[in-house]
Amino acid sequence: MSNITVIGIGQSLRGDDAVGLEAVRRWREQFNKTASRPEVQVEVCELPGLGLLDLFEGADSVLLVDAVQSGASPGTIHRIGPGELAAFSAGSTSAHGWGVAETLELARQLGLSLPSIHLIGIEAGQMEIGASLSAEVESVIPEVCLEIEKFVTGHA
Amino acid sequence: MKNIEVPALARVEGEGGLFIGLQDGKAVEIRLDIYEPPRFFEGFLVGRFLQEVPDITARICGICPVAYQMSSVYALERALGVTIHPQARALRRLMYCGEYIESHALHIYLLQAPDMLGVQSALELAATAPEVVKNALRLKKIGNNLLKAIGGRSVHPVNVCVGGFYRWPKAADLKALLPDLEWGLAASIECAKWAATLPYPELEIDYEFVALHHPDEYGVIEGEILSSKGRVLTIPEYENGYIEEHVERSNALHSHTVDGNTYLVGPLARLNLNNQQLFPAAKQVIKDIGVELPLKNPYKSLLARAIELVHFYEEAISLVNSYKPEGRSYITLKLKAGEGTGATEAPRGLLYHRYKIDDQGLVQFAKITPPTAQNLPRIEADLFALAPQIVEMSHEKATLTAEHLVRAYDPCISCATHFLKLKVENV
Repeated sequence: MSNITVIGIGQSLRGDDAVGLEAVRRWREQFNKTASRPEVQVEVCELPGLGLLDLFEGADSVLLVDAVQSGASPGTIHRIGPGELAAFSAGSTSAHGWGVAETLELARQLGLSLPSIHLIGIEAGQMEIGASLSAEVESVIPEVCLEIEKFVTGHA
Repeated sequence: MKNIEVPALARVEGEGGLFIGLQDGKAVEIRLDIYEPPRFFEGFLVGRFLQEVPDITARICGICPVAYQMSSVYALERALGVTIHPQARALRRLMYCGEYIESHALHIYLLQAPDMLGVQSALELAATAPEVVKNALRLKKIGNNLLKAIGGRSVHPVNVCVGGFYRWPKAADLKALLPDLEWGLAASIECAKWAATLPYPELEIDYEFVALHHPDEYGVIEGEILSSKGRVLTIPEYENGYIEEHVERSNALHSHTVDGNTYLVGPLARLNLNNQQLFPAAKQVIKDIGVELPLKNPYKSLLARAIELVHFYEEAISLVNSYKPEGRSYITLKLKAGEGTGATEAPRGLLYHRYKIDDQGLVQFAKITPPTAQNLPRIEADLFALAPQIVEMSHEKATLTAEHLVRAYDPCISCATHFLKLKVENV
């Protein structure tokens, strides 16, 4: 039996930046049977910073669900596997002290043993403070929930 | 020499840029540009039920959510005329210890130490001194574990409410942290000794220090607002002494004293004004490393944080040992219309809240004055004071020295989005 941790990340008060939180919450409601299996841990975490590393403890594989910006159209779903981690390690010059990318890079740098990390990234449109999810992003949440379910049942 | 321009400061919490305009070897213009979203939260809180306020304001910052929760609950309790259970008060201090531990460990080692050690980033520090960084992560994690034991979660803990806590944490869960806290106390003493050996750039400023002061404990929650220039105000009198003003180029507000002076809040102010209230191990470490107070060098904020780290580890041990939950963890609220103020010491400095509520407990007005807004004019003034030194330096070194000064303040330019910048190839 393999332990899996699903982590929704985001900032609930900034529009599409909340999509990772919202998708994981809805998946947990809709697929409660999977989400409550003993080998499955579910975390919904705003701005975890370096605390992300603590959430990895005890997991064989981790699924991060998060908003991303790559220039694709809002609502595009990116699926990124452990082999492609380099694709999201570029942001270290950003002003945001400890984003997800920086945290993973630090763990790699320290040679910490990490679980196998996968990402479902949802392309964000607007990130206005106080805004809710955009229609484009909102409309793909059911598909993201199915993706999470497929991933968890395939790995746990 | 060219102007110094740093469009996006690294290693600060949020987004900000720095501009130093130089002419004939003199600084003629200094701007710290802040992209903090304009006072969104103050508007957002209007119409919310008072019990939602601590959890909403906690989202202003991922590093110091507890500070926002604490200032808001004290303000709202004052509006309702509520005094909480003494154990709930002690538990709030313990929770604050957790926040200081995680925030200070992060800042000392991962945000400011790279500047002191001449490396570009914490990532580079991790490559050259992995043991230092692993130690830092452990020191920080113990703070997060403390928050988790009390608040249910290590980031944005949720147990604090107006009137106390929703539930008492289990004594066994807190006692289980004691071995780690003991390790942390010993490690933090070593950290302070190490911090004393670092090559701080030279800069002495005659600050007006402002911090919460309490005669019986290290000022964190409750007490009076003390200034090194002798001004003593109760928390409800805060706005009589300290004024916030809009500055055109920035969407953060800037503060000054009623006499028009800049002032400093944060670790240097606390340590200088409140060192008599430190726990014994922190007092001892000050003696052992030969620190002379008051500290007036802004770069030595790191040293002040390191001394405070010792204090908060030791206080956490004491509070865990004396933890005895009895009876209800919260006071049942009787709603009434009113107004209340609250101020607590966030890791970055004094954090003031004021709320007006109606007889249904709905917020009618909210004012939040964060520490960084109070320090912004001071940071700019420090950069002017630094200018004669940096015009003599190479452009690269000058930029780094100025950036380092800003980072030493640990400015929390909050509400930053956190999303990943993703370079998509073959996806």
